[in-house]
Amino acid sequence: MSDKINETITRIAEIIINELKLEDVTAATFNPDLDLVDEVGVDSMDLATVALVLRDEFGIRIDEDDYPKLSTVRIIAQYILDKQSSGE
Amino acid sequence: MITVSSLLDAHWYERYKTISKLNIRSSIYDVTNRCNLRCKGCFFFSSGEHQVADEENDLAQWHQFIDREMARGVNLAILIGGEPTLCLDRVEAFYKKLPTFCATNGLIKVPRDRFPDLMVGISLWGDSADETVLRGKDTFKISSANYQGDPNAYYLYTITPKQLGKTEAIIAKIRDVGLKVHMQLLSNDEGVDGFSWQPDELVAVREEMDAMLDRYPETVISCKYYHEVITSGTMLGRRFGWMECPSVTEPLDRRQPQPKRLIGFIRWSSNLRAMHRCCTSETRDCATCKDGAAHMSWVMVNKRAHIKTAKDLQNWIEVYEMFAKLYRFIPW
Repeated sequence: MSDKINETITRIAEIIINELKLEDVTAATFNPDLDLVDEVGVDSMDLATVALVLRDEFGIRIDEDDYPKLSTVRIIAQYILDKQSSGE
Repeated sequence: MITVSSLLDAHWYERYKTISKLNIRSSIYDVTNRCNLRCKGCFFFSSGEHQVADEENDLAQWHQFIDREMARGVNLAILIGGEPTLCLDRVEAFYKKLPTFCATNGLIKVPRDRFPDLMVGISLWGDSADETVLRGKDTFKISSANYQGDPNAYYLYTITPKQLGKTEAIIAKIRDVGLKVHMQLLSNDEGVDGFSWQPDELVAVREEMDAMLDRYPETVISCKYYHEVITSGTMLGRRFGWMECPSVTEPLDRRQPQPKRLIGFIRWSSNLRAMHRCCTSETRDCATCKDGAAHMSWVMVNKRAHIKTAKDLQNWIEVYEMFAKLYRFIPW
C-alpha cells in the first residue's frame, strides 16, 4: 500500500508542477504535506485544471464540492486511491 | 519553490490565511432594464444593453433562477441595472438567499426594515458640476440624505479627468455624512468631450488616489496597488485587455489560451436567459477599459503570479482584502 501511495503522490506532484508551471521544485522534492492553498497559492481555477488531468490519469471523477478538503498532495493521493478501490 | 510563508511575516500570513479560502464565486445580474436617470457614459444604455432582452416580470421565475444560480456555486450576487431599486421584490429575492450587493444611484432609499444589512454601493460621478453634466442632476444631495451614516452603504466614486485636483472635496463630504467610499475611473463609453483619460492625467489621478487613501484611511476603501493597476492598465508587466480580462461570461468565453478568470462568472440580462459578454459594456474597447471590478479581479485571479516577492504578495493580499471588504466577506 505504501508503494502505491508513494507512486500516486509522485505522479500527482508531477501533474501539479507541470500544470501550474511551478518553478524550482521537482516531484522528488515536492513536500506532499505542503498545504496547496495556504503555501503554494493554488486557487479554485488551478484545482479545476488539475482535477481534469487527474480524472484522465486515474480514471476517477473529483467532485467540485470535495475541492476544499483536498488540501495536500498526500490527501489527494489517498482520495484517488479510495475512489479507485470503491469503484467510483 | 517559493512558498507563501517564506515570503510573509506572521502578521501578513494571518491576513493571507483569512482570505485565501474565501473562494468567492460572483455573478452579475441586470435586475431591470429601466433607470430613473440617463447618465452620459452609462454603458448599460450607451451600448444598448437595455434592449437586449425583455425583463422577466414573474417573481416566481426569479426565485427559481436564483436557486439555479446557487446550485452552480454562486455565493455573491452583484445586482446592477438599470436601477435595481426600481424592483425591490427582485432585489429581495436575491437578498433572502444569497450574500447580495446592490449598486444604485441612491435616489431611492433601500428600506432598512426590509433589507437590514443589504450592502449598497451608491454611484457618484463627481462634484455637483460634473454630476449635472453627466447625469442631469446632482445626485449626492439626495443619496447622502437617504443613506447618511448607514453602516451597510458606501459610495462608488467614479473619478473623471475633470475631477483632478477636486477629489478631496468629494471624499471629505462623503466622510462628513458618515459613509465610506471606493474610487474607480470613468471609461467614457459615450466619448463625452473632455472626459477621456490622457496619459498624464492617469499619472496624476494615481497620485491623487494615493493621497486620498493616506489622508482619509477611515473613509477610503482602497489600496495603492489597485491604484497602480487601474491607472496604468498593467500588472506585473502584463497589459490589461481582452486576452487578460477575468470577468468574461464563462459560457461565452472562447479565448485561447484561456487566461486566469473568475470561475463560473456570468453577467445575466434581466430576462434571466440572455448573457452579456462581460461585466461591462460589450462595445467598450478592452484596451482602454477602466472597470474597477475587472481590474481588481484581474489581480485576484492571478495569485500565484504574485508569489514571487514579499511586496508582490502583500500587494495581492491588499487588493483581495479590498474586494472582500467591499462585498462584506470581511469587516471594514
